[in-house]
Amino acid sequence: MKIGLEVHVALPTETKLFCSCSTNADEPNTSICPVCLGFPGSKPMLNDAALKSALTVAKALHCKINDNTYFLRKVYFYPDLPKSYQITQLDGAIGHGGYVDISKKRIRIRRVQLEEDPAKIIREDEYSLLDFNRSGIPLNEIVTEPDIETEEELREFVNELRSILYYAGVDINKEMKTDLNISLGEERVEIKNVTGIKNLVDAERFEVKRQGELISRNQKIPKETRAYNSETLSTISSREKESDEEYGFIYEPDLASYPTGDIVIPEVVIASDVARQLSSKYGLNEATVKELVMFDRHALGLVQYGLKRSNANRVINAIELLKRHGNITISDESFGKMLSYLDKGLLLNEDAIKSLQENRQVEIEKNTVSTKEIDKAILGIVAQRQDLVREYKTNSKAFNFIVGMLLKKYKVNPKYISERLAEVLKDKA
Amino acid sequence: MKGGIEEFLKTEKFEGYYEELIVELEKLNSKLHIFSNINKGLSTGLPFSVKDNICVKDVVSTASSQMLNGYTPPFNATAIERLPKEEFGFIGKTKMDEFGFGTFGINCKDHPLNPFDDRYVTGGSSAGSAVATAVLKHHISIAESTGGSISCPAAFCGIIGFTPTYGLVSRYGLIDYASSLDKIGVMGRSSADIRYVFDKIKGSDRYDTTCVDHPISKESRKKLVIIDQLMAGVDEEIASSFDRTIGKLQNIGYYVEHKSIPFIEKTIPAYYIASMAEASTNLAKFTGFKYGLKINDFSKGYNDFFTEARNNFGLEAKRRIVLGTFVRSSSVKSKYYEKALRLRHMMINALGVILKDGFIISPTMPIKTPTVKEAEDFDPVKEYSIDSITVPPNFAGLPHISFPSDYIKGMPVGTQIVANHFNDYALLDFVERWESQFEYRFKYNVGAL
Repeated sequence: MKIGLEVHVALPTETKLFCSCSTNADEPNTSICPVCLGFPGSKPMLNDAALKSALTVAKALHCKINDNTYFLRKVYFYPDLPKSYQITQLDGAIGHGGYVDISKKRIRIRRVQLEEDPAKIIREDEYSLLDFNRSGIPLNEIVTEPDIETEEELREFVNELRSILYYAGVDINKEMKTDLNISLGEERVEIKNVTGIKNLVDAERFEVKRQGELISRNQKIPKETRAYNSETLSTISSREKESDEEYGFIYEPDLASYPTGDIVIPEVVIASDVARQLSSKYGLNEATVKELVMFDRHALGLVQYGLKRSNANRVINAIELLKRHGNITISDESFGKMLSYLDKGLLLNEDAIKSLQENRQVEIEKNTVSTKEIDKAILGIVAQRQDLVREYKTNSKAFNFIVGMLLKKYKVNPKYISERLAEVLKDKA
Repeated sequence: MKGGIEEFLKTEKFEGYYEELIVELEKLNSKLHIFSNINKGLSTGLPFSVKDNICVKDVVSTASSQMLNGYTPPFNATAIERLPKEEFGFIGKTKMDEFGFGTFGINCKDHPLNPFDDRYVTGGSSAGSAVATAVLKHHISIAESTGGSISCPAAFCGIIGFTPTYGLVSRYGLIDYASSLDKIGVMGRSSADIRYVFDKIKGSDRYDTTCVDHPISKESRKKLVIIDQLMAGVDEEIASSFDRTIGKLQNIGYYVEHKSIPFIEKTIPAYYIASMAEASTNLAKFTGFKYGLKINDFSKGYNDFFTEARNNFGLEAKRRIVLGTFVRSSSVKSKYYEKALRLRHMMINALGVILKDGFIISPTMPIKTPTVKEAEDFDPVKEYSIDSITVPPNFAGLPHISFPSDYIKGMPVGTQIVANHFNDYALLDFVERWESQFEYRFKYNVGAL
């Protein structure tokens, strides 16, 4: 099986790709102008921020950056396309020849290009509505080579790509639209416009099954474009002949060619690489570290800061704790303080963790508990409540009840309490 | 600065001036079909006109196409925006070949007629702009050329048509024909007037990224180069008139050299391929539901809806859309569109070598002004070939001017002079020298003070 993707994501700019309309508008058709409506006489002007953002993504995907980037007109008629052509890129794209590494292989990136989003179509029963707020939103299209061969690789690639996009400043909570090219046989089948990750995997799964069955019946898989239906979890033929796709590309003569040499492109952290290196250096579980840092730049910062200063597992526990309390944005300095308490065998309760942000020394001091005290409390309860101790092996509620009692009193990391309690009970058994 | 505009702007007694002018102009308009609309409320400034493919805020701008019926842009073209309101007053939109598609000015409803003799064509596509300039005493018209749309009607109507270097005047607000070739320029009755207006409208514009702030030089040349291939198909009377013009220029210190560019003959097909390819994409936006002509029957599928709307293009527009779509289709693109672009680069280089130390000079049009009847009988390929002299500088983005140089049986004849990129002032200087020993003739002087 061969899978190649064309992933479209919106770039994080204040204004549209070719005009100064805002990219944030709720009321339909309120963020529009002659340019993004394609009025006769209007001309596009390139948004420098979009160019820089696209370059950032391309570099993060290890692409070669074209010295000069230029645009093309892709001509087709559809009601959502105001000029009846989309300004997009091919040869003169932002970048080409990059890659994304996943655990067991390298997925090659063919091209990263900048293009404009068409308007949004809202389909009603008897008619359709058009919202041109979306017309001209800058999109990055990331085209892979057909290097993905399993569903697992697909998931891993998408996760990895999203992490890179996150670190490149892209809002990954916005809709991600993907064209999925998948072939089990000779011919390529393209599933257009799949929204989100779940649908992407479901569409892939359905196609694998569908194409697999055709092959087992010795039937030919026709080269075609299909659409995914998220209600039936299936793909259906769009009844467009592949050979009919004729976009008549020409150079976009309303835009210049843009030199990229003088643009300072920021370095983007590849979080999974960092997680891998740190895990092997400090003997941590790679999956745990990845889970923490892939989509959280604050967590990554604290991991890197903390590992230089304290016990590795303690650092990871502390960050998990901060995440749980929604306090991951604390400064390195505050985090350093937190680690120094932990190093001294003091646990921070909820109030202490909240005080870390503002660095209120007294509050923090007041709300720390020593591990010794907690150990003593555990032993106390175990001695008093033999009923629960007898039950704990058969009834998990009993165990949780004890943890709950202690948590209520100390409001500290439940992980520490449950680990210690388990140890104590094991000794008793 | 001397001439019409300065003279006009110094005058302060305008009582009754505009009322009379508008009455006279409307009378002439019903005879010569110059304007698609006249601004009857004009009350200040030098009256200037605007080719109908250049947007004027809140004024219907249709590029003389049914497809744009009623299109009222909510913005001014940059060139219009830059004309100071206290000096210039908008008098009206001028008729043109639909979207600029035509050599004679007859591809529109009630097309303009030649001011010297209304049996003759005006030339196109800036037809109405040329006539307006020829009939109004103090006038400039903001026009546009893609492949000769300023030079040709300037020659046939006996006025001066200036097409600047590509990229010196913003195209923002121009209803595009072929964006890489379209240039907004100025038509007028003297080089001084044109210079005055050009200086106001030129320069970079954030709304048109292909427009630049480049120093404009005035490097005069004494050498005038005649490219032999361009003279090959020239009418005999035009050729002998051209010889007389060269004689006069030699008398004031110029000398002539002959050069050959064999592949210049390929310019016409290459130009039409490139311009039609772009035009077919620029015209794709006209689908009948957002602006201009609107189809109100929404019962059809969108493909049928678009087809019905696009049936309202004129014949020449349809021809160029079909041919333009063909030459950029994937199976033949390298044979036509891409080859045309290569030839364009060759042309720019070849002409650039000659223009380093000379101007290129030629008759503007290879034929005498045809009558409307004669023009209607031209087949498209023959009509395209008439552009053989105006297309090379346009294709290469070079500045050029057509100026009146002679009159044959009462009809004006134009000569075209071409300079190197950004040497636009040198061309205006050249025409100014010509004017010192040649008197332009005008049949009408509406609005004379």
